[in-house]
Amino acid sequence: MTRAAQKQHTRQRVIDAATHLFATQGLASTKTVDIAKHAGLSHGGVFVHFKSRDALLSEVVSSIGREITDRLHATLQDQAELPMVLRTHLNCLELHETAYAAFLRESRLLPKEVLSAWIGVQSAISNYLQAPARVAIERGLIHDMPMHLLFNTWIGLVHHYLMNRELFDPDGSVLLRHGDQLIAHFISLIAVDRKYSSRKANF
Amino acid sequence: MSDKKCISCGMPIRLENEAAGNTTDKPYCQHCSNADGTMKSYDSVLEGMTQFMIRSQGIDKAVAKSMAAEMMATLPAWTMHK
Repeated sequence: MTRAAQKQHTRQRVIDAATHLFATQGLASTKTVDIAKHAGLSHGGVFVHFKSRDALLSEVVSSIGREITDRLHATLQDQAELPMVLRTHLNCLELHETAYAAFLRESRLLPKEVLSAWIGVQSAISNYLQAPARVAIERGLIHDMPMHLLFNTWIGLVHHYLMNRELFDPDGSVLLRHGDQLIAHFISLIAVDRKYSSRKANF
Repeated sequence: MSDKKCISCGMPIRLENEAAGNTTDKPYCQHCSNADGTMKSYDSVLEGMTQFMIRSQGIDKAVAKSMAAEMMATLPAWTMHK
């Protein structure tokens, strides 16, 4: 492994350790010394890769956001319909469910710069939902509505389940357990034709 | 998949039609590009990002503008504006 590749590998280990600890211990309780220990580094080793705890936190949020938007982007290249885009969104969230839920619960503790990046990711997700939603509106399959309300209704539903994971699935993935039901319910709310919601509820 | 991001708004540039002038040679995206291919001004990009956040999430204009400015301050094209 080259020196540059080794450095990149270690940087990724720090990100993975931070993601794991933010997810399991919460943002407020996770110190950089814990992250270093979990990554198998000295405390100072973390700061070789990130100038501050906030910079590391920012990278963790950004990397999860990038993964979600990259996957949504790929789905839209295939001209997927809205239910499939919603499924892709939930699949991405499932991969990082505990960390994502921790960010949701403690979003008020995020530094302003990180919170802005987090809100920016949500705007990008909303944008990816809009393209198939507009097509469905044009085809008369779903009700015409402001795009931000369509997104806020969807994300409000999903975030409620994530923020209260212990109520809906205390031991596993709330999205794995309830995801199909959430998609089917959301589609039934916005569908003009009942056949659309029943047809699209089966993935 | 390319990791290239717009230096002005941070949007990933993965396809030619997402880049300024439909060529991925430029470091900024179609949304941050003027009709003549040059990069938009700070104020113009800030307004575009603010409107994008309002349209996508219905965020209050002053809040959206503040968040857009925070995001832009982390991007290579606008670090001097922080």
